[in-house]
Amino acid sequence: MEMNGSAVVAMVGKDCVAIAADRRFGVQAQTVSCDFQKIFPMGDRVFVGLTGLATDIITVSQRLKFRSNIYKLKEHRELSPKTLTAVISNLLYERRFGPYFCEPIVAGVDSTTGKPYISGCDLIGCPVEPADFVVAGTSTDQLFGMCEAVWKPDLAPEELFETISQAILSAVDRDALAGWGAIVHIIEKDGVTTRTLKGRMD
Amino acid sequence: MEAFPEWTTKAHALGTSIMAVQFDGGVVLGADSRTSTGSYVANRVTDKIAEVSSHVYCCRSGSAADTQAITGVVKYELEMLELELGAKAEVTQAAHMFRKLCFDYREQMSAGIIVAGWDKRNGGQVYCIPLGGMLVKQPFSIGGSGSTYIYGYCDSAFKEGMTRDACEQFVVNALSLAMSRDGSSGGVIRLVTIDKDGVARRTLTGKEIPTFYEG
Repeated sequence: MEMNGSAVVAMVGKDCVAIAADRRFGVQAQTVSCDFQKIFPMGDRVFVGLTGLATDIITVSQRLKFRSNIYKLKEHRELSPKTLTAVISNLLYERRFGPYFCEPIVAGVDSTTGKPYISGCDLIGCPVEPADFVVAGTSTDQLFGMCEAVWKPDLAPEELFETISQAILSAVDRDALAGWGAIVHIIEKDGVTTRTLKGRMD
Repeated sequence: MEAFPEWTTKAHALGTSIMAVQFDGGVVLGADSRTSTGSYVANRVTDKIAEVSSHVYCCRSGSAADTQAITGVVKYELEMLELELGAKAEVTQAAHMFRKLCFDYREQMSAGIIVAGWDKRNGGQVYCIPLGGMLVKQPFSIGGSGSTYIYGYCDSAFKEGMTRDACEQFVVNALSLAMSRDGSSGGVIRLVTIDKDGVARRTLTGKEIPTFYEG
């Protein structure tokens, strides 16, 4: 899991969620590019962030998009964040004894109820659905520390953006394998705001 | 997450970008400031440029413990030598002391050191002592894990007979490129310029560090 390096974090706010990821793609110590996508939309208001081995990030996101598309065609509605978590869990557990080296984070707002939702899984699909924040990647220890320190409940979208940005930027500054810029999506019932953060490029 | 985080078991390593350049009348030494334990950044404002005598400094890369120990011994030996000979330490003397330690203990050590300074006899000099303990004098020298990414840049940008300011800019540009590509290098850029008048230290942080292509 320490081959490529990554950092993804999601936080819950008041009627909104935020998900952020770093942008580095590296091969151990060497940085290859600074625009690698780790957060993928799986619907209008649901995003999946993936960490771990880069090739598995690509494959899992593609396989998940396939399952999401089939669901949409059959059900004539989009996957809700909670259901998406179950789909990912199933996708990962199918490979129980030869797993994808990939730990996902789901963040979204349920389009019917408007409730914000986040969850995370381990590499074989065990889900966890906390009320506050989830972290994944090579800087989990640093991200846990930052999130515990700065998160509070019922943050408005703008405050949530500031909070999650500070958390991820400070955490990846202490990780040699993650960083080189960051991207943040704020998801609310009415829309999604995406911003790229200018961070240390070292 | 593992039972024991990696940083409890790994030693501190100076995965690094260091370099030293000679100019007419002195030398410029430069280094990044990252010390990592595995992938955790243990210190992001490290000072890797150590004083061994008033006009001789060294850049450290490799094991943090090994290089600190070696530097301590050489600093002590040079101070004794200055007292015994009644003259300021020379760069060659320091370089040979470093080499003796690095070669004799080559099996146990993991230390890549660049020694640079100014003395009255030979002016500015740069000596490189890589892993096995060889000693070689060069007009400029680069070292550490980040140096692998800037060999091409340094070979194309270096010119003989640069001025002091041009040398400092060369070092800053090279280190910035290395820090951008190497995961084990980063933080601030520390510069030390030594000439007959003494030592000038500078630190470049944040926006002062030049940026290049960041694709």
